Parts: sequence; C-alpha cells; structure tokens
Amino acid sequence: MCGAPLMTETLMPGGGVARRPLHFIVMADCSGSMKGEKMQALNYALRSMLPHLVDWERDQLQAQLLIRILAFASAPNWYVADPVPVAELSARWRNLEYVPMGRTNMGPAFRAVAEALSPDRLERRALRPAILLITDGLPTDPPGGFEQGLAELLGTAAGRSALRLAVAIGRDASSEPLDRFRSQDVPVLVADGTDEIADRLVTASIAVSRMSEIGVNREALAAQLLQSGQNRGSDPAAQPERGAVRFDDTIL
Amino acid sequence: MIMPAASGNSGPGRPAGWLVLTASERGAAHVAVKTPNQDSVAVERAGASGVVTAVADGHGHSRHLRSGKGSRYAVTIGCQVGQEFADKLTADRLDEPAIATAETEARAERIVDLATGFLVPTVVDRWREAVLADVEADPFTEAEQGKRRRGDDPTIAYGSTLLLCVAVGNWLVLAQIGDGDVVGVCADGTATLPVPADPQLDGLVTTSLCGPHAISDFRVAIVNTTRTPLLAALLATDGYGNAQVVEEWPDSFSKDLAWLLRERDMRWLASQLPAWAARCASANGSADDTTVALLISPAGQTAHEITVPGGTAGTTASEPDPGTDEITIPADIRTTR
Repeated sequence: MCGAPLMTETLMPGGGVARRPLHFIVMADCSGSMKGEKMQALNYALRSMLPHLVDWERDQLQAQLLIRILAFASAPNWYVADPVPVAELSARWRNLEYVPMGRTNMGPAFRAVAEALSPDRLERRALRPAILLITDGLPTDPPGGFEQGLAELLGTAAGRSALRLAVAIGRDASSEPLDRFRSQDVPVLVADGTDEIADRLVTASIAVSRMSEIGVNREALAAQLLQSGQNRGSDPAAQPERGAVRFDDTIL
Repeated sequence: MIMPAASGNSGPGRPAGWLVLTASERGAAHVAVKTPNQDSVAVERAGASGVVTAVADGHGHSRHLRSGKGSRYAVTIGCQVGQEFADKLTADRLDEPAIATAETEARAERIVDLATGFLVPTVVDRWREAVLADVEADPFTEAEQGKRRRGDDPTIAYGSTLLLCVAVGNWLVLAQIGDGDVVGVCADGTATLPVPADPQLDGLVTTSLCGPHAISDFRVAIVNTTRTPLLAALLATDGYGNAQVVEEWPDSFSKDLAWLLRERDMRWLASQLPAWAARCASANGSADDTTVALLISPAGQTAHEITVPGGTAGTTASEPDPGTDEITIPADIRTTR
C-alpha cells in the first residue's frame, strides 16, 4: 500500500495486558419496608447512577469498572453475582424487587461481600474496591450479627481498604451502625425522601470515581458530600485533572 | 539499552556472561497529569564477567514529591554497591564454581551473609546520605513544603522501591524492597520467583527505602545457576505486573519468553523490549510508569542457535503458552529514558 507506514510485529510474552479492575459492589436493601415507592425510587436511582459511571470510565485512563449488586433482606442474594462492565449492566438493567416480610439483616450481607473480596477471588492487581450500602432502616440482625459480619468484611485487606459509602433513605436510617460501616472521610449520605435517592446515588458515584484519584482534595470532596449532593462535583478544588487516576502508592 | 556483561567470549560464538536489556516508559496516567516518569533503571559491569542491574519505582503519592530523584539515586547507588559486592565475592573467591555440594552450600550461606550484612545496609545508608545531601544543596521550596506532611523525615519526599540483581559467576544475588517483580525463566520455560513475597504489600502501600525499617524490609535471595539453570531473569516495576491480564502471569511470561529466545535473536529482543514496556504503560495497560531490566544468560543468548528440535539445549519442548492471548501490534520503538 502506497504511503503505508512500515510496521514491525511485536510478540509480547505473557497473557496480554488490560486496564486494572476496579470492583464496585452495591449492597441494596430489599427488605419488606422498601415495598412500593421506595423500591421504585431505588431502581430509578440505580439506573440513573450507571450512566455517570459509564462516562467516568470512558474518560479516565486506568480502571475498568466492574459492578456487582447484592440484594439483601433476611438473607443476602446476589442480584448481579459476577462482576460485569458497568456499561453492560446499564444496557441490560432489570429492576430489583423487595422481599415480602424481609428483614434488614446486614451481617450476612457483609459476610457475602467479604467472601467476594477474599484474596483468592480478587485479582492481585485490582484497584481498591468500592462498596455502596443503601438502606432505609436499622439493622435487624440477631445480637452480634451485624458486628460479626462487619468484622469479617473489615478483616479482609480489600474490605478494609475499600471506599465504603452509605446512603440512608430517611433520617432514621442514618444510624450509628452506618457510621461504623462507612469510610472515615466519607459521610453517610441521607435521602430525606424517595425523590432524593437518585441524587444521593449520583453523588455516591462521583465519590466512587473521584475519591481514589490523585490530585483530588478529599476534604473538599467530603465537604461536598456532606451537603448531600448539593452542587455535586462543582468545586474545582475538589476536582482532579481529567484522566487522573490513582497511583498514590506510599509507604507503609 | 543493551549491556553485555563481558567484552569477550568464552569460546567461538559463546558469550561469557549475562546480557542486560532495559526499557522504561512513562505511564499514560502520568502523561495525563503531567508528572514525569518516576521510575529509573541502571546497569553496570561487575567484576571480570559479571553485571549488576537495578530498577526502582519512585512513589506516586504527592508527599513523595521528589521520588523521581529518589529512584535515580536508588539505581545508581544500587549498582555502585553491587559492584563493590561483586568485588568482595571475587576477593573471597565466592564466585568460583565449587565442586563439592557442601562447599557450594557454605558459599551460598556466605553470599547471603554478605548480601544482608553489606549490600543491603550499604545501599540504604548511602541512599539516605545522598538524599540528605540533596536536600541540603537544594532545600524544599515553599510549594514543596506545602505537600509534605508535618513531621515527615526529609527522605520521605524521595521514597522509592529498589530491585537489584548482581549476576556474577554462577550466582544471581537479588535484593528487593517494595513492590515489583523478579521472575526467573528456567531452561524448560517454567518460572521461578526467587524473592520471597512480602505480606506487607497489599497493592496500596509499599515498603520503601525511605521507610524506618528499610534494611529489614529488604528481601534477599540467591540463585545458583548451576543447580537452577536460567535462560533469563526479569526485574520489573509494578507497572509491568499490574498490566498483565493473567493472574499467574510469570508462568505465561516464562513459557513464552523461553520460546522467543529459541526463535529470535538478541537484536530482535532488544528492539521489542521498549514496546513491551510501552504497552504495559499505556492506557490499555496499567497506565503506570513501567520499567524492566531483562537479563539474558549465556544459555539464553544462544538458545536460538541450538537446533534441537522443539527445545532448548537438552530441555523439553517449550512452545508458547496455548492459553496466551499473544498480541501482535505495531511496534512502538522508543529509546530508553
């Protein structure tokens, strides 16, 4: 072909290269109290959140975002069990359903996530995962159940280092247990009404995409999150440069 | 960069020592945020027919604001001390082949003692001295002070890993602090990982030359290449391993490299290594700075000349890994940075 550049083949040993996986696990409360408007609003909110994550994944350079969804009530149930690219989930979304008479047992749900993040199931090269817990109520675990489950999650290296976000549907749901779950520098996001759930999840998605990037002012971003999604993502001080990703490796 | 360990050959067409190829590529994410390549690599001759090579990864966190300089000090000092270490091995005749097993064992012990008692502490001490001298000559600016954490030792600004290999006689002496990979490619195409894993490394934080326990955080290993014949050894910063799709990538890498060594010559390999580093450092890989030093043993350098059907010298056949997604891409040849 006239004018075609001369190219030399490259054979690269090994199994090929790819972006590093960033696992995002959504823990969605599907207990009986979520019946009706709340469940509708949660599904709408999750659907609304996905395009933001798709956009972020497209614009950054490092991570491949892989999402899983755990529906929990009396028992946990993987709604999306295997990690799927966020764009794929967005394209084939199916609504979550509440569990009639289902309780809000968080302990077994934490254990299920801990298992998914165990070293033998997580790639060594995976980035720090993100976990988003959405609930409208207090945990109803038997005594010690919540604590044991949370301890198991935080007992894994990935669970401990994960960005852990909590969205409380209603003021009453913003409880001490959620404070114990969340990452230290990220407040519990409160949706006062069902109409605010989507807003909070979009805020959470911004946190997932931004909190782990270099150059970000985490305190400024956390302050924004405290405003419960008001003017979300608009503070330039909190924004890293486009394409910035996390290589903030530092000493022990 | 190509560095033959010895200027002469041990026989007609037979290389006397290890050949070292190096490449370093700035990560795509570093390009995006306009930060330099904070990795470094160096290679020097050591002793009569030996070689010493080092790769280092300056930490990316903003508190390590001079880590690029720290990694350059690490590889330069690592190679200097590695040369002195090789001289000591020669002076003590530890680099000569031993006949008896007991003598070989005794030599191995002495080499390890010398590595832990001289090589590692000397590297750490001199690196700290170099860093402190640099701070004195070029104090932190106001902007730099703003990035430092209160109470940070000055050396923290220069934080870096170090992977060091001294190849002398029948020995490979390896010392590593922090993340990154050392992969030995055995003659049959299997992989050996001589440096023990460090449970402190979880992919988020790393041990470092700037750490308070740098000397004890070093991991040291030796390989007797008479007992464990190697075709090659790879030293790589974590940008390489983090780009690999296959979880147990050293196995695939070794099998494929053994095959490539049989099929291709050193010139071809030297032309490809920068492309491998570039691919790992790209937005389709880890997007992180990626630096490799590939040591090719005398057997590895001549593997392609050996006509034993389906195998390297006296070994079983070593075909490329059938599970490998071997990639053919236009080569993006770049000079070593």
